[in-house]
Amino acid sequence: MEYLSLFVKSIFVDNMIFAYFLGMCSYLAVSKNVKTASGLGVAVMFVLLVTTPVNYLLNKYVLGPDALIDGVDLSFLSVIIFIAVIAAIVQIVEMVVEKFAPALYSALGIFLPLIAVNCAILGGSLFMQQKEFAGVGESCVYALGSGIGWFLAIVALAAIREKMAYSNVPAALKGLGITFITVGLMGMAFMTFMGISL
Amino acid sequence: MNTNNNFYTVIYTTIVVVVVAAVLAFVSQSLKERQEANEKADTISQMLTAAQFGSKASFQKIGNSATIAKYLEEISEAYTVNVAGEKVAELPLDKVYSPKELKAQNRLIKNGGDAQIPVFVFKNGTTVLPIYGAGLWGPIWGYIAFGTDNSIIGAYFDHESETAGLGSRIKDDPEFQAQFKAQQPAFGESEIFAIVKGGAPKDASGADIVDNKIDAITGATMTSKGLDEAINAWLGAYSAHMKAQPNTVEE
Amino acid sequence: MNAKIKETLFNPIFKGNPITVLVLGICSSLAVTVTLKGALVMALSVMFVTGLSSVVLSILRNTIPSRVRIIVQLVVVAMMVILVDQILKSFEATYPIDKQLSVYISLIITNCIVMGRIEAFALGNKPFPSFLDGIANGAGYGLVLIVVAFFRELLGSGTLFGLQVLPSCYVTNNLVILPPFALILLGCIVWVQRSIQKDLQEK
Repeated sequence: MEYLSLFVKSIFVDNMIFAYFLGMCSYLAVSKNVKTASGLGVAVMFVLLVTTPVNYLLNKYVLGPDALIDGVDLSFLSVIIFIAVIAAIVQIVEMVVEKFAPALYSALGIFLPLIAVNCAILGGSLFMQQKEFAGVGESCVYALGSGIGWFLAIVALAAIREKMAYSNVPAALKGLGITFITVGLMGMAFMTFMGISL
Repeated sequence: MNTNNNFYTVIYTTIVVVVVAAVLAFVSQSLKERQEANEKADTISQMLTAAQFGSKASFQKIGNSATIAKYLEEISEAYTVNVAGEKVAELPLDKVYSPKELKAQNRLIKNGGDAQIPVFVFKNGTTVLPIYGAGLWGPIWGYIAFGTDNSIIGAYFDHESETAGLGSRIKDDPEFQAQFKAQQPAFGESEIFAIVKGGAPKDASGADIVDNKIDAITGATMTSKGLDEAINAWLGAYSAHMKAQPNTVEE
Repeated sequence: MNAKIKETLFNPIFKGNPITVLVLGICSSLAVTVTLKGALVMALSVMFVTGLSSVVLSILRNTIPSRVRIIVQLVVVAMMVILVDQILKSFEATYPIDKQLSVYISLIITNCIVMGRIEAFALGNKPFPSFLDGIANGAGYGLVLIVVAFFRELLGSGTLFGLQVLPSCYVTNNLVILPPFALILLGCIVWVQRSIQKDLQEK
């Protein structure tokens, strides 16, 4: 039950895009059509799901106070370790997918390097550290929920942008400008979820 | 040079990571003392501000060493108590609790563990108690100063990452902090203190009446709620001690 | 000053602005633009970090193995940011500034502007032009932050740099303080810029 409420909460209430505005760069750049958007969405979901538990274990057994050696607190290294782990995992995933699933690679491949600098991924690890989850299970559920939330958000925006191609937007506002405004309006709608406790 | 061979790649990455880790470890170790001194002076200035010995800005102006000297001049006793109100240990007079140390105690209070929380008593009879909890984005903490009759004489709060202009007003808005003055927390009750959304009870002239309720910050519901919870949890833990204090007027 | 340096220095401020044209570094522009002071601190620290890490990576550019280049870049950028944070924290005069800044530290590391400029410029150019490019992009980014923060602080709190500007009868608009409004303001800035510079318009 606790897992379920954490799961729902991380999708809607703590949505990475609309509550924290993380991962905006690739969100805006790769949401022109639903197909590529869902590709990036799946990639983000996957990388979040892999990196968050790994960073959880690192944080608990290596970086925390007294974790490795008594009296040594390595938490000043946590951001740099998290980001290194993320970059390394992204690179490994890229190589593995390229080798064993070329079809998936050609669909996903170009998005993978983008993900290393996606703030949503680092955000996932930092929030995980801040929320002090009790176990790996919780951090997995949290990562999956956040990933799904991100996926839904980018697919929704892409669908809106596809429809918007038929509307008569002022020339100077076309593309980036109207996208900013659309995301702003979507964000306001999502504000209604804020503060709901499950 | 072929920079793509495996051996070179592995060696290069290892060297970069080791060098960076070494530089950071060195810098962090060698600057640790100075950083802790700054942090301590900051904490002390917050406690002094809560206890009405000056304003945060005035302590920043006189500098770290003068602030610490002022504190040592005014403080008379510091000790820790447990939730049953018993004194556990005397603290050295120059010992203060950093947010990190408060966090550890906060966990014990929440889990019903054996929390040992600090009490700071000044020569003029003022008692300063810390509080700690979660805001909307990150931790919030602060200090509440009590007069000899257990009413609040001042408060100062700080936060790590609340929204600027909304939640951050617990720190930046003197009017919000001034609301605490003269309020009387109901130690031992289920609701010791309340930060009320939509307005605390007012008298006919519109001034806040003395009770244990103050106004929340408009637009910062979650931060106000977090602060309310933090105050109730911590003052709850201090209840037994504050009620048993000899200088309490009514018992 | 020769033409090329001038181009490197001034292009990112308006014509090739990292936020409104290249769409980089949006996340942090939402978080820090509620007050002008926060925006200014963030702008300066991003300029500093982009400038320095561009120089370091430009010096290293011929030795970095291409397969691990993202890791190396991230590690160097993160090191710069943490160093800045640690040093500011150790001096009495800069400690209060750092307390304000520390919130944005992790935001600077994942700020795509830093990575984007390293990838696009520093890895292919000599240290000095890379330094200028880093500084200029930081400045272009800062300019947008400051414009957005100006409107948000003015309308949201009725103040500028914390000083009351609008008369107290002005009812502050909390909507402006919420992050979605920053996006709408950015949209308007893009609108204005593209009305002036027609070649940037999308079809």
